[in-house]
Amino acid sequence: MKKLIAAMLAASAFGAFAELSVDEIVNKANEAAYYAGSDGRAEVEMSIIDKSGSARTRKFALLRMNTAGGSQKFYVYFKEPADLYKQVFLVWKEVDEGKEDSRWMWLPALNLKRSIAPGDKRTSFVGSDFVYEDVSGRSLKEDAHELIETTDTQYVVKNTPKMPGDVEFSAYTVRIDKDTFLPRKAEYYDKNGKLYRTVEATQIETFQGFPTVTESVVKDLNTGGSTVNTFTNVKYDIGLKENIFTERFLRRPPREVTR
Amino acid sequence: MKRLKMTTFSVRFPWIIILAAVVITVLFGSQFPKVSFDNDPENMLADDEQVRVFHTRVKAQYNLYDFVIVGIVNEAHEDGIFNVETLGRIDALTKELISLRQNAAGLPEVVRDGQPFAPGLESSSAWNRALSNVFGNDVNWLFDNKGNSAIIAQEIISPSVVDNIKQADHGQLAIEYLMEDAPTTREEALTIRNDAMNNPLYKGTLVAEDGKAIALYIPITEKTYSYNVANLVEKLTEDWSGDDQVYITGQPVAQDTFGVEMLVQMATSAPLAGLAIFLLLLFFFRRVSLIIAPMLVAIVSVVATMGLLIGLGFDVHIMSSMIAIFLMPIAVADSVHILSEFFDTYHRFQDKAKTIKHVVGRLFKPMLYTSLTTIAGFASLATTPIPPVRVFGLHVAFGVALAWLLTMTFVPAYIMLFVRKKSLEGVCQVQDQEICETKPSRLDHMLTWLGGFSYARWKLILAFTMVVVAISAVGISKIKVNDNPIKWFTQHHRIRVADRVLNDHFAGTYTAYLTLKPELIRPPTCAERIHMMRNAAIERFSGTLPEASQIFLQLLDEANTQFQALENADIDRCFVDLVEEAKGLDEMVNGPWNALGDEINYLDPEGLTYAKLAAAMAGIGDEATRGAFAEHMQEFQSLEGAALQNQALDIIDEYAALSFTDFLFEARADAGAPAFKKPEMLAYVERLQAFLAGVPNIGKTSSALDALKKANYELNFAAEGSPERNDAFYSIPPTPSAVAQVFTQLEGMKKKDSLFHLITKDYNEVNLWIQLKSGDNTDMQAVVDQVEGWMAENPAPTELDVGWAGLTYLNVVWQDKMVAGMMNSLLSSFVVVLIMMMVLFRSPLYGLLAMIPLSVTITFIYGLIGWVGKDYDMPVAILSSLTLGLSVDFAIHFLERARELTKKFGGWKEAVPHMFQEPAMAISRNAIIISIGFTPLLFAPLMPYKTVGFFLATIMAVSWLGTLFILAALITGLQKYLFKHEGTKGTKEEA
Repeated sequence: MKKLIAAMLAASAFGAFAELSVDEIVNKANEAAYYAGSDGRAEVEMSIIDKSGSARTRKFALLRMNTAGGSQKFYVYFKEPADLYKQVFLVWKEVDEGKEDSRWMWLPALNLKRSIAPGDKRTSFVGSDFVYEDVSGRSLKEDAHELIETTDTQYVVKNTPKMPGDVEFSAYTVRIDKDTFLPRKAEYYDKNGKLYRTVEATQIETFQGFPTVTESVVKDLNTGGSTVNTFTNVKYDIGLKENIFTERFLRRPPREVTR
Repeated sequence: MKRLKMTTFSVRFPWIIILAAVVITVLFGSQFPKVSFDNDPENMLADDEQVRVFHTRVKAQYNLYDFVIVGIVNEAHEDGIFNVETLGRIDALTKELISLRQNAAGLPEVVRDGQPFAPGLESSSAWNRALSNVFGNDVNWLFDNKGNSAIIAQEIISPSVVDNIKQADHGQLAIEYLMEDAPTTREEALTIRNDAMNNPLYKGTLVAEDGKAIALYIPITEKTYSYNVANLVEKLTEDWSGDDQVYITGQPVAQDTFGVEMLVQMATSAPLAGLAIFLLLLFFFRRVSLIIAPMLVAIVSVVATMGLLIGLGFDVHIMSSMIAIFLMPIAVADSVHILSEFFDTYHRFQDKAKTIKHVVGRLFKPMLYTSLTTIAGFASLATTPIPPVRVFGLHVAFGVALAWLLTMTFVPAYIMLFVRKKSLEGVCQVQDQEICETKPSRLDHMLTWLGGFSYARWKLILAFTMVVVAISAVGISKIKVNDNPIKWFTQHHRIRVADRVLNDHFAGTYTAYLTLKPELIRPPTCAERIHMMRNAAIERFSGTLPEASQIFLQLLDEANTQFQALENADIDRCFVDLVEEAKGLDEMVNGPWNALGDEINYLDPEGLTYAKLAAAMAGIGDEATRGAFAEHMQEFQSLEGAALQNQALDIIDEYAALSFTDFLFEARADAGAPAFKKPEMLAYVERLQAFLAGVPNIGKTSSALDALKKANYELNFAAEGSPERNDAFYSIPPTPSAVAQVFTQLEGMKKKDSLFHLITKDYNEVNLWIQLKSGDNTDMQAVVDQVEGWMAENPAPTELDVGWAGLTYLNVVWQDKMVAGMMNSLLSSFVVVLIMMMVLFRSPLYGLLAMIPLSVTITFIYGLIGWVGKDYDMPVAILSSLTLGLSVDFAIHFLERARELTKKFGGWKEAVPHMFQEPAMAISRNAIIISIGFTPLLFAPLMPYKTVGFFLATIMAVSWLGTLFILAALITGLQKYLFKHEGTKGTKEEA
């Protein structure tokens, strides 16, 4: 009898699993990848490798906070190389339609605070192969999603932009782990349908119950370049104050990044 | 006679010879389908040539590609090119080029208006299509084996896809493409113009300063695609009506176009020349059956030589495409001598075999030597350092040898088999007018008169020659060594027109790269860093923080002693260890202030009052600090909210601004800064660019510095600031860190890495893109010299390694090599030929004499080039070897016959009338046939062919005159030395 109940439970769970719609999948994946905890921090080491194999390294601390309605705020504080020391990026990501992100930067050596027009989110993030959208996440509303394959362990979702003129890709597919809902590999196809870019989560660890990508690699197949991000000191629910994510903290960085 | 064995055999077994010739032709001809073409002047230099290796390295290092330059010009519209319609077209064209792909049928396809569109790339002219087929030139070939486009889409330079950094609304900074979307209104179009004109990287390069033209730079994976890419652009813009003119240029296109048209020339000029020679032979000998022989000799030699070249795996290069043209006159000349002689002596024997033996017996030696000298002339090209010239020289030498062999065997065999006896009846000799009915021609009369003149007025002739030589020598001193592949096209060729138009509108379509890097890249050692830090620390801290400063200096000194012991200490170690110490020091000095600052920073500005602020501070920092702070805040207590918060932080910053940790990071950034993050090095580049701007022929230079200054300006721009304040930021940021932070913005533009075309990723090397308005080697050389001179007078802060690359510069290098190489090969073959002549005539005097006509000819030709102002370029250089080979022939024949006839008639005076009959006739026929035979080349659309055609004619004419006048006059003057041993009689033909 117990077995039967267990079996029934399993069946219903499985059923629920199978019935997961593509929107639910991408929502869960988006949650898992970008919204773990109410806030979080990490130290990032970024290695920009060109086709000849030579690398440039950047280190920064990253703060993230979820705010109302799925919006988020990011604070990026550079530690290395020495000439970028104390440089800051501040991003307010908006998900509501018609609302644009806000971005600021602080260039300490120029004693300069500048607000950057939202413009294109697919520009390179500090010269790496990552684009801003990779760091902060692409709004789900910008693409049409289609579940094209389900394997034992993964969902494969194809995402087609609703405004193809705004982006350089024609579509991208994402392989999402069934157990953690973390996107494992995204493959971008250009307007001619040729694969030209991949973003891959190569290492995953669990912190405070949140499965977290601790190494991700982006490859530009056109240029032969790649960028590897390694995440350490990951912490969630650290109780960040929202006013950290304001211009005032550009010049005087918060303790959460300097320590 | 031994030497006749070959001919005797041919006369006896003519079929075997004919068969052998057919086999040779088929064998070598069968190699033709394997042909591959190479029209890249870069290959004038060997693969491992240093400058080429460097050029390739620079291209790889900076991700530089060869460009097809598409210039779009609108002269008519009031806004020039910046009108809605034209910009829309340019945007559409850019997107079409980016979308280039191979469709299911394997044909090129672009996306036009959202739909796949496969433009018809085939030429509308059936003739061109046929040529393309013959030469395997597939216009649809725009993809590699994997189907990847020949166009490097992400590197296209077009307003639609180049970054622009500009001020946006609300004091924001916008980073977007120059033409994010095609404009829909005049205002939008003019905004694009203003943005472009305000960007030093684009003005003069992407957009013409006059606002009438835009240039797209389309990078291609291989230069060999350029013709097809140009063709694609032409087809895509075919339907552009109105005032938009499209011009396509760029060195790869020019080269590729040259290559394609060169094939056309090979297919037309050479056969046309062949036809002209045939007609002239027919005019002189009037017997088709007879003159087919020299034509066949020419054809077989050309086919065999080209077959050998292709079979050996060499590409047909610009040089080797001319093999046919060079070989034909030589091959024909040999057999014309035989024919002429056969023609003139047949009546005496009335038997083909006997006549042949007589003729060959008589001509064997001179013909062997004329061939050997020609071979020497061309083979000497093998000593030049230019691979295609070596290949050319050796193959022509092979062809000449084969032509000689064929003349000795095939011509007799042919005469035996195919010339019917009957057709030879009525053939007569000029001097036996009683026997023959033919009247002497005008040429005969003229030659007779010439002979008399040369004999009687020899002093006058020699004096005149001296004058000509002297004038020519002056001309030679005026020769300008120069080449420019664009000038290989005629004035009205579309490539030349495009070149002219675009260089008129833009800063220049010719590219050279000047790269700079420190001679020694060595990060300073720990000891050096500490030394630098020590001085900077004293300057910064000793006044305001004397105590802490002392401690800090002590720490530095300790670190110094520690690291001096370690020879190869990790350079960052000295820094890492110090940071911890500095943090402690900061805590000691600024700890309380920073604690206050942090506390205030985290306060919620909403509803903040001084009372709340004061309350929050209780227990933070220390008593004294709080007291000092409260004192300073006295007058600001009435402030509220964010204003209060900011004021409080400003006061704290005044105290806490001096941080030893920050200082260390700064010092580390300064000390470890690569060469081109250092403001003083960038300032040097700035000065160099300012100098280059004033150098004639340089239209513009672009460097990472231009991008840096522009970005610094835009970053610091404040709408409320005065123009003076804003303009002051159009400059190099003051510290290495500041430079680095601006550069980082440029790294993260929309078009990633475009900065790295101009600077390496480690910022240790820079690349100046120099645009020249002229591709003349002399102009490029002048630029190199000027830069060298300036840099010698203005040494850089750090010793620099200077390197040049780019196709325009490469041309200079191979040209220099060619000139020197040609000079050497000319001199060495001159010596070889002189020795051969001395051996042939067994007399140094005769040997020297034989060299006179060719020396005069070469002097005259090059003197003429100098006087006319024609550049000494590649085709002209090659002609020297041809001159050597051809003009000595006349002299050999003339001297050989002079000696023989003088012997026969007992004296030079008696021999002269005879000399100016049959021997002079043969020489004259040859000269006329070759010079007139090559006039079709004058109508070629390619200058090298025209040059060769013109100079072949001139060489023939001058060596003809040189031989008949000067040689005859010299013999007259020197006869007592030349003929002193002539006592015995006896002619060879009786042997």
